Amino acid sequence: MHKLWAVIRREFVARVRTRTFVVATVLGPLLMAGLMLAPALLSMKQASGRHIVIVDGGDRGLGRTAPTTLRSKFPERYTLEVVVFPTGETERLDSLISRIDAPSEATGAPIDGVVVLDPEMLAEDRIAYYGSNVSSMKDMSDLRRGLRDAIVAERLSELGVNLSLVQEASRPFTLTTERVTDGKLTGESGEASFALAYAMAFLLYIALLLYGVQVMSAVVEEKTNHINEVLVSSLTPFQLMFGKILGVGSAGLVQLGLWVGTAMVLTTFRAEIASLFGVTEAAVMAVPIPTVSPALMAVFLVFFLLGFFLYSSAYAAVGAMCSTMQETQQASMPVTLTVVVGFLMVFNVLGDPAGSMARIFSLIPLFAPLIVPVRYSLNPLSIGELLASGISTLIGVVIVAWFAGRIYRVGILTHGKRPKIKELANWVKAG
Amino acid sequence: MRRGSDSVDSGRWILSSVKTVFLELNVSQSVISVDRVTKRFSGHTAVKQLSLEVPQGSVFGLLGPNGAGKTTTIRMIMDIIRPDEGRVTLFGGAGTGRELSTRIGFLPEERGLYPKMQVLGQLAFLGEIKGLTRSDALRRGREWLERLGLGEWAEKKVEDLSKGMQQKVQFIGALMHDPDLAILDEPFSGLDPVNTMAMKDVVVDFARRGKTVMFSTHIMEQAERMCDHIVIMAKGEKVVDGRLADIKAEYGKSHLALEFSSNREQAAPILQDRSLFLSVDDYGGSAEGEMAHGVDGDTVLRALVNAGVGLSRFEVVEPSLQKIFIAEVGGDAAITAAREPGDA
Repeated sequence: MHKLWAVIRREFVARVRTRTFVVATVLGPLLMAGLMLAPALLSMKQASGRHIVIVDGGDRGLGRTAPTTLRSKFPERYTLEVVVFPTGETERLDSLISRIDAPSEATGAPIDGVVVLDPEMLAEDRIAYYGSNVSSMKDMSDLRRGLRDAIVAERLSELGVNLSLVQEASRPFTLTTERVTDGKLTGESGEASFALAYAMAFLLYIALLLYGVQVMSAVVEEKTNHINEVLVSSLTPFQLMFGKILGVGSAGLVQLGLWVGTAMVLTTFRAEIASLFGVTEAAVMAVPIPTVSPALMAVFLVFFLLGFFLYSSAYAAVGAMCSTMQETQQASMPVTLTVVVGFLMVFNVLGDPAGSMARIFSLIPLFAPLIVPVRYSLNPLSIGELLASGISTLIGVVIVAWFAGRIYRVGILTHGKRPKIKELANWVKAG
Repeated sequence: MRRGSDSVDSGRWILSSVKTVFLELNVSQSVISVDRVTKRFSGHTAVKQLSLEVPQGSVFGLLGPNGAGKTTTIRMIMDIIRPDEGRVTLFGGAGTGRELSTRIGFLPEERGLYPKMQVLGQLAFLGEIKGLTRSDALRRGREWLERLGLGEWAEKKVEDLSKGMQQKVQFIGALMHDPDLAILDEPFSGLDPVNTMAMKDVVVDFARRGKTVMFSTHIMEQAERMCDHIVIMAKGEKVVDGRLADIKAEYGKSHLALEFSSNREQAAPILQDRSLFLSVDDYGGSAEGEMAHGVDGDTVLRALVNAGVGLSRFEVVEPSLQKIFIAEVGGDAAITAAREPGDA
């Protein structure tokens, strides 16, 4: 026990003293602050609006209805100007296009884009748009929705429907969402709990890979430094491997703790912090910040630890097979891919957190560590299901750790060519 | 009658118990006992039916050319690898090398330290995994660093040390917990003469305190000066085993050590004369030769003087270990070494 403790302590200190650890621990909160402030800053910037010119080349009155529908949806965003001329006059169109994103003394302020309502194109259900902002997904979808309303209205009136009836019928409504957990209102919007699920999935994914690879490089490092023989003469491979995993793991938990801690401080004082950057309180509060229940914290922690043990022992085995860091890049592929698959599975689960797919994947030890916390954040699992996932993952951890330990034991003293599958099997079988 | 048979029985009993005690004494005197051990690696046998006994308090040399199986033998003694056949017993069967690691100091052939760690922190860790408490390990580490002239380097990172200094640190790591047995694999390789002397002093001092030392080397002069017991291995097998003095006596005083002062070239035909010498190691200014049977020193001396060779040394000696080594291992050594450069 004393020896194991010595290994854990050494590994922990070695991790925490590295520059990368310090940098990542400091940069994490900065990144979080950025993520919190950026949407608010962006939405403030977007309020500056767009100047769009609509060229109406036809005689169907679209030039009148389109600005109305656009403005009714996004009153602050669009400054609209309607110019009527036949679209055949390409010179006038060209002169308009030349003003896009280019201010000049002759023509005045720049414009952001030109919508061309050309009768021939409309006949083919097409509208042209020239603009500096065509790569902005939000602008394009706003524009499409605004124009679609105008077109629909136009088509309906063409079919003999009264335009005011159309407007009345297509009056928008808002769907307000609020999450209910255990029969109680949480005061949390659906958006917020989704954001939390995403954040957790990312955090788990990054942490599993980051700390797993750290274990692997620590193992390879000991091989390349030829220190294993001294260690193995007084420590069992088990003590060595788990000391390493626990050392890296505790350094990881400290880092995660610091990140989560700063995240909590940041969200509590976000209004004050925002005002330092000139962001209005309203804009910051509009960004959804989820609340994290103690139960969710516990589930997250337990499954993170299970996942960490599972993947880091697999990574330790990979490290033991290799003699250089370059080799590990290729050899660790199967492990890394498994984590990636689990991460991709999360998106499936996000769509239907209580579906059969989600239930099945929660029972597979390789994926449960990523899936279960995410599911729990969206829709708490029953105790029975949690236990089943936890136990099956624990069994998975024991199996993977057993195999990893057998490979590790032989691997750390073997140099030269990486073993083939058959040789690995011999390593596992060896007495 | 009855009393008579009783006394015979009791006599037998005494005899047998004396024998048992004697045997037990004999066993407990062996700190390391290797019994018919064999180890094979994919298709080649690194160690073949090897048996050896390392007596309590001895300085034991495990000699052999590269690839003879020395390191494999040491790894099996330390329980780093398991023998395919045979048995290793330490301290009369108290446990495996790892279980007894608090009583054993081990310097492996593969030297390594954590490059980014501070020297003292490294020693503290090495002491801790040998069962010392951290504070004790730190204290001892500091003392040893002072003793070996590395006191100023205690807070430096290992990677800032020269190779010789790193090897000293490793030596400290192996011996700082004051074990009863030190197993040192090629302890002096890669050291300059000054550091070699410093390390030799440490080992000699260790042995003087009644502790047992086993070390492997292929440098015969070192073994000759330090060891009282030796085993010579070649191609995984033991070729010589015993007390150094006995081995030398067995080879007898049939060797001549010569040093020339003038007319060196006149000596050549005499040295090459197979009726006088069975073999000669010619070093130019000096030579060591094994005389043929029936030839005595006088005959050779007369021949050399008659030829006009000037001599600054003429001595009938026991063979040097180098000579015994070459005689036993012979040219095979080079072949084995070429086949197995890693000294498996």
